[in-house]
Amino acid sequence: MSCRSGHIEDTELIARARTGDVAAYEDLVRRYQDVAMRTAYLVAPEADAADAVQDGFLKAYAALPRFRAGAPFRPWLLRIVANEARNRRRSADRRTGLSMRASAAAGPDAVAASPESEVLAGEAREQLRIAFGRLRDEDREVIGARYFLELSEAETAEALALPAGTVKSRTSRALGRLRDALAALEGGPLDG
Amino acid sequence: MADQPFAPLHLRSDADLVAALRAMDREIDWPAAAAATGRADVAGLVRARLVADGAGTENVAGRGRKPAGRSWRWTPVRRAFVVAVIVALALAAAAGAAGLGLPGLRIIFGGPSAAPSAPATRSSPTPPPSDRVPGVPGAGLRLGNQVGLDVLDERAGFIVRIPADSSVGPPSTGWVNPALNDQVSLVWASSDRLPATNEPGVGLVLTAFRGAVSDAWFTKAIGPGTIVRALTVDGHRGYWITGDPHQFFYEGPVGFVEDSRRWVGDVLLWADGPITYRLETSLGRDAAIAVAESMP
Repeated sequence: MSCRSGHIEDTELIARARTGDVAAYEDLVRRYQDVAMRTAYLVAPEADAADAVQDGFLKAYAALPRFRAGAPFRPWLLRIVANEARNRRRSADRRTGLSMRASAAAGPDAVAASPESEVLAGEAREQLRIAFGRLRDEDREVIGARYFLELSEAETAEALALPAGTVKSRTSRALGRLRDALAALEGGPLDG
Repeated sequence: MADQPFAPLHLRSDADLVAALRAMDREIDWPAAAAATGRADVAGLVRARLVADGAGTENVAGRGRKPAGRSWRWTPVRRAFVVAVIVALALAAAAGAAGLGLPGLRIIFGGPSAAPSAPATRSSPTPPPSDRVPGVPGAGLRLGNQVGLDVLDERAGFIVRIPADSSVGPPSTGWVNPALNDQVSLVWASSDRLPATNEPGVGLVLTAFRGAVSDAWFTKAIGPGTIVRALTVDGHRGYWITGDPHQFFYEGPVGFVEDSRRWVGDVLLWADGPITYRLETSLGRDAAIAVAESMP
């Protein structure tokens, strides 16, 4: 039913999906499933991201009639997914934190050099991971949305259900608290 | 920051801190949408669940309902249908992944009712005539063709291991089902030492077939009335399954197999190399494991 060759705008796929075209919705899901998985994992690393994402997409489908035509789909969807992930947070495992790839955990030399990675090597990389894990959920989410998911400020506001215009200040404060956490670590032993 | 390359991170500029976070992003082990759910990606599973819910224009009944603001509800029929669609997705994925040797095998449990009519199934709705021989242990279970124990290996195409546990003794009958992946079933008649299962006159059923067990999917598909406990059988991963009656689906070496026969008791399921075993019994878990581990 849906065209699988060439690029079809979200608005067209959404319009089809709203009439019950499941294949069109599947195309939408496939388009955003990776960023949805990252969002769910960012919000609740200790939970099953795939479960949260599946349920999020199902709820989004059910909510399509309420989706405002012409609005950006991605942040609207991510807001639903993020909520699903929050519902799956488990207090007992809150310190799980984000997992790093084996190549990254192996040490600085195991990671391909890049302009970004050159500023973060060795112990500093581990300290940043620990410091990030120690942030409050709200701080981790806003930093993650901006710099891991690469959402714009407007998208971040929509996805995290924040008041419009507050993302910049929230991000700044979150980065400040990340500095504080780093400062605590950089003066003492790692315990994360 | 180029002007303070060795300064602690918390003393560097915002630009450096952000750059460091972006570098960290490259190293995070983000879950992948395609890998997180086994072979089918999230999109395929979402579509399967929508179709199972009767949503959209591609559902089997063709009702073409528009999405509504109602919440998802699992029902036995929906669950069974989801199983069928998921299996179909697995088949599609396996077509591209089965280039070498046996395809990875998935075993999926369905609800007790509404056996889904999955495509490409090798199940046989009409049992062979020998299934209906009265008075023969296992004759009413649609196990295929009754064969002598001395020719089981030849007919099955693999070595059929028979438990040596003296408390159960030798099997009463042997069966090979050519319509179901040539799977082999051994049936023991009930006795003083072997309590009857849900099938009158049958004390134990051991089924063996080519394949390997994976829990990648069935933990998501299993019904709320069924309890699955992981365990080991002779060092191999296995499961003890109790509760609601089960239907059984798996992907064999040459296609999808739907074994729609209801299990007659609690089930011990385990794999040893390329062969998967299913022991149905009323003996209880520990005795079932003892029987399984008596296999040479």
